[in-house]
Amino acid sequence: MLHSKQEGNSASTKIRAAVAAILAVGLLVSGTSMNAASAAAKPKQIRILYATAEANSAAVQAALPSFKTKTGVQLVMDTMPYGALQTKVFAEFAAKSSYYDVVIVDTPWSPALAQNLEPLSAYMTNASLNDLAPLNPADFIPKVFYDTAVYKVAKPSLHYPKPTAVVDPAAIKKAGFDVYGLPIQANALALAYRKDLFDDPAQKAAFKKQAGRSLTVPKTLDEFAEVAEFFTQPSKKLYGTTLMAGTGDWATDDFKTLLAAFGGDGYMVGNNQELNFNSAAGVKALTYYRDLIKSGFTPPGTTSASWDEVATMFNSGLTAMTMNYHDLKLDANVAGGVIGYAKVPAGNSEGPHFGTWMLSVNKYSKNKEWGYRAAQWLTSAAQSTAMLSKGIHPARNSVYAAAEKLPDANVAAYYKTLKQALAVGAGRPRLTNYGEVDAVIFTMVNNVATGKLEPKPALAAAAIEVTKLLESAGYKVPK
Amino acid sequence: MNNRVNELDVASATSSVKLARRQSEPAFPKKRKKRNGIYWLQMSPALILLLLMTIAPAIFLITKSLTNDSLLSSNSNFVGTQNYHAILTDSSLLHSARVTTIFVILVVLIEMMAGLFFAQFLHQKTKANSVAGALLIIPFAVAPAVSAMVFRELLNPNYGWINYFMGLLGLPDQIDWLGNSFTAWVALIGLDVWQWTPFVTLILIAGMSALPAEPLEAASVDGANAWQIFRHISFRLLAPFIGIALVLRTIQAFKTFDSFLILTGGGPGDSTSPINLEIYRVALQSFRVGFASAMAIILLVVISILTPLLLRILSRATQNENV
Repeated sequence: MLHSKQEGNSASTKIRAAVAAILAVGLLVSGTSMNAASAAAKPKQIRILYATAEANSAAVQAALPSFKTKTGVQLVMDTMPYGALQTKVFAEFAAKSSYYDVVIVDTPWSPALAQNLEPLSAYMTNASLNDLAPLNPADFIPKVFYDTAVYKVAKPSLHYPKPTAVVDPAAIKKAGFDVYGLPIQANALALAYRKDLFDDPAQKAAFKKQAGRSLTVPKTLDEFAEVAEFFTQPSKKLYGTTLMAGTGDWATDDFKTLLAAFGGDGYMVGNNQELNFNSAAGVKALTYYRDLIKSGFTPPGTTSASWDEVATMFNSGLTAMTMNYHDLKLDANVAGGVIGYAKVPAGNSEGPHFGTWMLSVNKYSKNKEWGYRAAQWLTSAAQSTAMLSKGIHPARNSVYAAAEKLPDANVAAYYKTLKQALAVGAGRPRLTNYGEVDAVIFTMVNNVATGKLEPKPALAAAAIEVTKLLESAGYKVPK
Repeated sequence: MNNRVNELDVASATSSVKLARRQSEPAFPKKRKKRNGIYWLQMSPALILLLLMTIAPAIFLITKSLTNDSLLSSNSNFVGTQNYHAILTDSSLLHSARVTTIFVILVVLIEMMAGLFFAQFLHQKTKANSVAGALLIIPFAVAPAVSAMVFRELLNPNYGWINYFMGLLGLPDQIDWLGNSFTAWVALIGLDVWQWTPFVTLILIAGMSALPAEPLEAASVDGANAWQIFRHISFRLLAPFIGIALVLRTIQAFKTFDSFLILTGGGPGDSTSPINLEIYRVALQSFRVGFASAMAIILLVVISILTPLLLRILSRATQNENV
């Protein structure tokens, strides 16, 4: 009996030991398998779809090898020019393709794409996914971050209600929004001027005599017009300023910047599709714009100029001032030329146009976590700082602090201005058919710039067109 | 007597045709069916390819045009002819249709006339003409987007070559070519004529080289001058080649897109905004697939009606010449 009990005990001990062993092995295996899961989930490569020129692919390309060194995962980046990229991005998402893990997204596309992008707030608050570089969300310039990356996917036309609050993924989630990307290239309209001309004693004296005040970099719209008039000397092939009045997105950007400066809504169309551009401020903005061109303060070709052409005009020494999305470099034949930068002139308020590219994780990717890690690493303060030498436009405050200490004074000055512009900028309205609305607005701006239409009827006609477009895209426009 | 001979000739010819047809027909209907089956089998790869590459997409396009489908939206509803109604009553789209039509008429007309003119001189087989023939290929071998970009630079009012050389010749040198509707149209038409006239010329050179010499020599002997020979003989004999050039150029001109987008962007205002630019904005910027499909279908229908119509007009014109 004892024997049998002993046998029984021994049997039960054996069973217990076996169970314990199985449990231990099980735990070990499960533990190993958890580790193995992350190891197995570690892909050989992460594919990124990126913009060739518009978001400085050279800067990002230079950073890719370091990621492989650090993690063993290769970042493979395909780049495309803007038009082809937009088609490719939309086609990839329409096909629910998992080919690209990380995709660059421009702000006008986001309202239509948001539902295909992976919400990132959970990733941002998961420490194990932010081990490659500190995330430090509070470091992002709030206006840039909210305008670029924060959406309510059920109603993507809404902007985040607190655009200047410190970035906090938990607070964003609590407000019913989420984060759909990490900003990588932040562009804003900034004023560039010929510092050598502004500092020239002869010019200073002449201006003082003409205007009765010292020649300074214009801070207001009145000063801007006055200085533009002063420098305009067509016989010397010198004009006051450039404007981007050609038919293209750039004309809309000029208009919305002035609209904000005259106290209007720089976003042009509200969260609930209010047509805020058709306003008294809109009339003032267009009248001011038209008068600068009509008065001859801008060079020939202004009404067909794009952002690229105005850069060429300024770089060749044709104008004393310009407004553009990037830093500039005078041609070698502009003897003694030095460039200075400042915020675009303000009226009773300000809101220079800005638009930022973000790196988003493809919702259909099979490597979402690693996709996030790659995007988070590429947009980290350390990598953005390293990319400064290649001209990236960062979205983090700490990187601008480093940028302002760059040895090239011209570049450092540009970054200082860019940061100021980003802090107060106005983005685009969140519409799924922004491209079509944009076309109506820039056509209207161009018609006013060429003198074909008067500002008020032009705005009224554009409002009718935009209403039709919004309604055809399924929006309800308030009457 | 003559009539009797003719009747006999006709009767004998008819019976020989009948006999020949009977001989070519298989003796047994089953065999004929089998042979027909083999023909269909032999044609099937090409037919399947045609079906997959043209008919199926066309059906797909028509189906989409009856919906409010958007590329990334899950809500696709049947809207009937709503898209077509919206297009045909939209003033800005109708304006774009007018821009397209005016552009097609002007460029095709100029290119046909210029092509005929150049072909008159270049069709003779000389060494100089061989070189000219080779050089003619260059303009239409250049990608339209590239030539538009080059033209944009040439027309730049501040540092472009066109204004510079006009200044040297004592002509106005401050023209803002793309900032004024009229000069923007001149630039667009100039670019298209530069690019595509050589194409028309080459087709017509081929046609002129194939013309029989006898009628031309006979007319010359009869005292016809060069213009009369060209108008009454060469032009009539060239009709098939002119038809080919006309149809190809009309279709190509309707499809012109790059030069509008790059050279003028549709401006100033919307004065040079063709229907293709509108389709591009709707289809490839807003991805409203249903609406863009309806626009494409309308364009397709217009081209499909226009092509046989042009050929018919040309055929009637040459018949009238013949009368």
